[in-house]
Amino acid sequence: MVFYTQSLLRRITSGHVRMFGTALEAIKVPEEPPQTFRTIENNPANHTIDHMNRFYTIAPEIQKQLFQHGGLTKFFQKQVKTFAECSILIRQPAIEIISYIRQSDYSKPPNKYVLYGEFGVGKSTTLVHLIHYAFATRKILIHVPWAQNWFSRPRETANSIVHEGNIDLPIDAAAWLVHFKNQNHYLLSELDLRVTKDYAWSHRETTSNGTPLLEMINFGINRIKFASEIINVLINELKEASRDGKCSTMVAIDGYNAFFSEYSAIRDDNKKVVPPSRVSLTHAFLNITKSDWCNGIIVVAVDILATKDRRESYLPRFLLNKEGFEHMDPFLPVHVKNYTTDEFEIIAEYYKNRKWIRDISKQGLRELQLLSQNNPYKFMEYCTPL
Amino acid sequence: MAIFRTLLRQVTFQKVLLGTKRSGVISLTNNYSLFPSTFIKGTFIPSEQNKLKESGELQKIAHIPIKPAFNDETSSEFYDPIVRKFTNYIMRKGKKVLARNLLEKTFENVKRIQLEKYNSSSFEAQTEIELNPTVILHQALANCKPVLELMPMRRGGVRYQVPVPIRESRSAFLAARWIIEAAKDKERTIHLPEKLAWELIEASKNQGRAVRRKQELHKQCEANRAYAHYRWS
Repeated sequence: MVFYTQSLLRRITSGHVRMFGTALEAIKVPEEPPQTFRTIENNPANHTIDHMNRFYTIAPEIQKQLFQHGGLTKFFQKQVKTFAECSILIRQPAIEIISYIRQSDYSKPPNKYVLYGEFGVGKSTTLVHLIHYAFATRKILIHVPWAQNWFSRPRETANSIVHEGNIDLPIDAAAWLVHFKNQNHYLLSELDLRVTKDYAWSHRETTSNGTPLLEMINFGINRIKFASEIINVLINELKEASRDGKCSTMVAIDGYNAFFSEYSAIRDDNKKVVPPSRVSLTHAFLNITKSDWCNGIIVVAVDILATKDRRESYLPRFLLNKEGFEHMDPFLPVHVKNYTTDEFEIIAEYYKNRKWIRDISKQGLRELQLLSQNNPYKFMEYCTPL
Repeated sequence: MAIFRTLLRQVTFQKVLLGTKRSGVISLTNNYSLFPSTFIKGTFIPSEQNKLKESGELQKIAHIPIKPAFNDETSSEFYDPIVRKFTNYIMRKGKKVLARNLLEKTFENVKRIQLEKYNSSSFEAQTEIELNPTVILHQALANCKPVLELMPMRRGGVRYQVPVPIRESRSAFLAARWIIEAAKDKERTIHLPEKLAWELIEASKNQGRAVRRKQELHKQCEANRAYAHYRWS
């Protein structure tokens, strides 16, 4: 009414208002139903049992920093692209391990957790959650996205200079160093970790006591010939630093049982198979999973797909073999299981929200549940053509 | 020798008899079905079954033997007869599992393309984007269906391309074939599901090669309209 009288006084016609008015018509904003399947707590450091069966979102910049060079499974990476967000379900195994991590005593040797379960059950995704947790609680990450890649698809091989009879994988080692640097460069420069010994790589190239770790990593990336040896040294240095309380470290290795396999595609000079036990990278990562240090956490996942020779059972004792079992002992096995009915409903709701499945009846959903037997990967697969 | 001859005669006589017996069993129409013609074709779709139940039709056919469903026909919610037919058109050398996988991957690609479009567009535009791949397939097939076809006919020693209206089933077949042929014309490095997905989306928007092929055919029919009367004279 006020507007009307004012416009009358100023002799503004309604046509003028329509043509030159800047006020917009009210746009109908779609009413979205409250998203009960999500939690706004996107910091995994605060995740507790209350957040279970809810989705949380990893920020794109963190996702890029942590998983640019692997870590997310292939299918999940595609989903991240199509859903335009990287959301994962907070599940029981991750919450269980996080609660253990909170309660454990760090003056003692590191606790070892072994994730195991059938194919497509979410071991790698649980690992992703734990890695994000470690990142949020400022731990140095030693993350191997998929150990088997080194042994089944080696990019280049060379005889080791330091340990005779061993084989180096220079390009793969350098690639891992890039991955490590990408994940930790902020923390490394902040904590100012330095090398504690003198190392001579060749006549001219040396790393003296007191140089920053980052500098040594950069050297390894540039001189890939020494990359394998530098990983060895780096891991020893990190163990030392953790023992001294300068930093705390988290080790996360997916497909850990690949280190104890007999199978490998690496050949030596006589065209004979080199088992993973003779590859220098294996030594480095078996070294970090020993119990002779403290102030650390070790989480590994064993997978049927990580070995070619032992695939009958997914249980850790079988997959790790006697050698690996004794190496890891004592450890805490954590079983990652298929979805429970609650989790399945949450996932279905999430897919509906992301429009991955549309107008599906209750009966249809039940059909999918029975078909996939609550297996996360299978459910994802069955939903793709719908 | 005489014995042989009588034997032979007996054998041939028996053979003839056998033949007559058989001819009584085999019907003269070329029907190779396992089931006799008294069997009726039932329905496996729950909604149709309910309709039969409501209309009381079910009572009438309760005691008539019914042919079983094919092994790729299910009463699932996700069953679609057009999708099933299209799978068979993709199939080569009877490799049905492969054909089905290819179509499922195609649907996945369609969904991913449409969803990425959906996520990057404004609210008003979002409502116009079709996300259901089955609907897109239906739309694409409907857009490619021709109404007329050219049939060569010999009149006075000259072959004329005569425009002829075609049956529904034939036009559906042509539409599917054109889409698949358009998808198969690709670089060696590109996989069929990728190209087919693109082709389906294009055709559903009334664009793309399959739709153009239909339009060209219609144009030719239009040009040959003078020969139309050869269909009946």
